[in-house]
Amino acid sequence: MKKRRFSFWSWFVVALGAGYFLVPLIATFVFSLKENIKGLSFVAYQNVFNDPRFWKNFSASVLWSILTILIGLLVFVPTAFWVRIRLPKLRVIIEYITLLPFVVPAIVFVFGLVQTYSHPPLMIVSSPLLLVFAYSILSMPYMYRAVDTGLRSIDVATLTEAAQSLGAGWSTILLRVIVPNIRVSLLSGAFLTFAIVMGEFTLAEWLAKPAFGPYMQYINQMRAYEPAACAVLSFALTWGAMGIMQRIGKGGEQGQIAGVH
Amino acid sequence: MAHLILSNISKEFSGAAAVKDFNLEVEKGEFVSFLGPSGCGKTTTLRMIAGFEFPTTGKVIVANEDITDKAPNRRNVGMVFQSYALFPNMTVAQNISLGLIVHKESVEAQKERVNEMLALIHLEGKGKSYPYQLSGGQQQRVALARALAIRPQVLLLDEPLSALDAKIRVALRAEIRAIQRKLGITAIYVTHDQEEALSISDRIVVMNEGKVEQIGSPFRIYNFPETAFVASFVGTLNTATATVIDPANHLLGMDEMQLESTAVTEGLRKGDKIMIAIRPERFSFVSEQRKDNVFDCEIENITFLGSIVRVQVLIGNSKFYMDTFNNPFLELPKIGEKNQIACPKEAVLILKS
Repeated sequence: MKKRRFSFWSWFVVALGAGYFLVPLIATFVFSLKENIKGLSFVAYQNVFNDPRFWKNFSASVLWSILTILIGLLVFVPTAFWVRIRLPKLRVIIEYITLLPFVVPAIVFVFGLVQTYSHPPLMIVSSPLLLVFAYSILSMPYMYRAVDTGLRSIDVATLTEAAQSLGAGWSTILLRVIVPNIRVSLLSGAFLTFAIVMGEFTLAEWLAKPAFGPYMQYINQMRAYEPAACAVLSFALTWGAMGIMQRIGKGGEQGQIAGVH
Repeated sequence: MAHLILSNISKEFSGAAAVKDFNLEVEKGEFVSFLGPSGCGKTTTLRMIAGFEFPTTGKVIVANEDITDKAPNRRNVGMVFQSYALFPNMTVAQNISLGLIVHKESVEAQKERVNEMLALIHLEGKGKSYPYQLSGGQQQRVALARALAIRPQVLLLDEPLSALDAKIRVALRAEIRAIQRKLGITAIYVTHDQEEALSISDRIVVMNEGKVEQIGSPFRIYNFPETAFVASFVGTLNTATATVIDPANHLLGMDEMQLESTAVTEGLRKGDKIMIAIRPERFSFVSEQRKDNVFDCEIENITFLGSIVRVQVLIGNSKFYMDTFNNPFLELPKIGEKNQIACPKEAVLILKS
C-alpha cells in the first residue's frame, strides 16, 4: 500500500482557512467576556439574558422559524413528491424558481412585498403572516432541495405504486411511506431553515416585526459587549442546529447503507 | 365468464404504440406468464391491469367488473415488484399489515392475517425485522405476503425474481407457484426468462413489439411455436428457408434435399418459399432406428454444456445445431468429420411469416 505523503501546502491552506473563520470568532468571544474590567466574565451574557427585549425578540424568531418550517413542509413535500412522480419535466423549472432567493437581494424582495401588500385587496403588510410567508420563500432553496434530495434517495415511484396496490390513498402514501423515509432530509431542511430565520435581519427590520436579528442591531447601537455576546449566541445556535443535523444525518446514512443488500 | 378479461387493449405513449390490440381471458386460479424481450409491452400490459397505466383503447374486466378507469388503490389487485418495494421504515409485520390498515381491518384481524402470511412464506420469526436485515429472497417473499395479505382478486408479479441469484430464483419460483396453487389465486407473471415462464405457468403469452405472438401452454409454446419470433425466443431453434414440393404429401425441399413434415400445409402451393424450424434436440446421429429425414452433414463445432453436448453441423449451405445428452461412455464425433443426422417428420415445423 502506498504511504500517504504529508502535504505541507494542503495543511497550510486548511490552517489559513480555519484561521480566517476562527480568529474573528474567538476574538468576538473573548471580547464578549471583557465587560467586567477585573477579568474575563459572562456579565455581558447575563445582561443579555436579563433583558426582556432579548426574550421577546428571541421567542418571536423561534415562533417565525417554527411557522416557516411548518409552511415549508406543508408546501414543499407534496410539491416535490408530485413533481417527482407526475411532472418530472417541471423539475428544471421548479429548481430554477427555488434558487431565486439567492439571486434577488433581501432588500429588493422586502420592497417588493411592501409595495404589493400595502394596497387592497391583500393589505397584509402589518400582519406577521407576511413575514412568515417571506421567510418561507427565503428558505425555499434549502427546504425544497433538502426534500428533493431525500426523495432522490428512495425509489419514490415504486414505493408509491406498492402502497397504491395495497389500497392506500395519497395522504396515507405521503404520511406513512414517503415522509418517514425522507425524515433525515426533512430535519436537515428544518434545521437549516431554523438557522436562517433565527439570524435574519432585513425582512424583519423592514416589515417592523420583532426578531433576533433586529435586536442584535438595536443592542449594537446601545451597548459594547452585549452585541458580541449575541453574535456568539447566534453562532452557537446555528452550529447547534448544524450539529444536530449532522448527527441525525449520520444515523440516516447508516440506515441507508445497511439497507443496501 | 373468465375471471380476468383484457379486451382489445391498446396503449400509446406520445403516439408510439406500446401495446397493440391485446386480448386475453384468464380463468380463476390460472397462472399466466407474459413472456417477451425488453420493450415488448408485457410490463405495460401488467401496469394497465394494476391501474398504473390507463389503456388508450380497450377494457380491463375483473370478476365481471369493468375496472378500466378505476384508480389503482380501488382495484384490489396485488402487485409484487422487481425491486421488492418494501417500505424501508416499516418492519416485516408492518409492511404486511399496511394494506389491512388501509382496508380498516381490526387490530386482531391484522395480527392474525400477518401471522398467517408469515407462516405461508416461512418467515415466522422475522415479523420484527426491517427489510434491510433480510436477504433478497426473504425480502421478495415478504413482498409476496404483503400483496397476498389483502386477498387480491388478481396477483400481478413484475419480474419478481430478476434481482435474485440463479439458485434462489429457481427455489423461489417453485415457492411462488406452490403458494399460488394453495390459495387458488389468479396470477399474471411478467418475465423475459423463457425457462422461468415455461416452468411456472399454466399458459404463456409470448409478446413482441406490443403484439401477442402466441398464447398457449408451455408444452405447446415450446413444441409447436406458431411464429418465427416464438420459435427463436423460446428455446434454441434451427430455422431455414425451404420450398414446398408437394403440399398434399407434406414434402419440402431444402438445399436440394428433400424432407418430410407433418405440419399443416394448408393454403401452401408448390414452389412457395416457407420458413421451417427444427429443435436441436430432435436431431440425432443416424442409427439403426428408422428416421424420416436423414441429412448428410459435416461437423463444424462441438460445445460441451454439461448435461448436453451441442454439435454444430453444416447441412447443404445451412448451419444447424444438434443437442445430444452427454454420455461419458460414447465417443464424440470429430470436428470436420462427415456424418449423417436425422430427425422425425413431426420435428419439422412450418412457421407463420
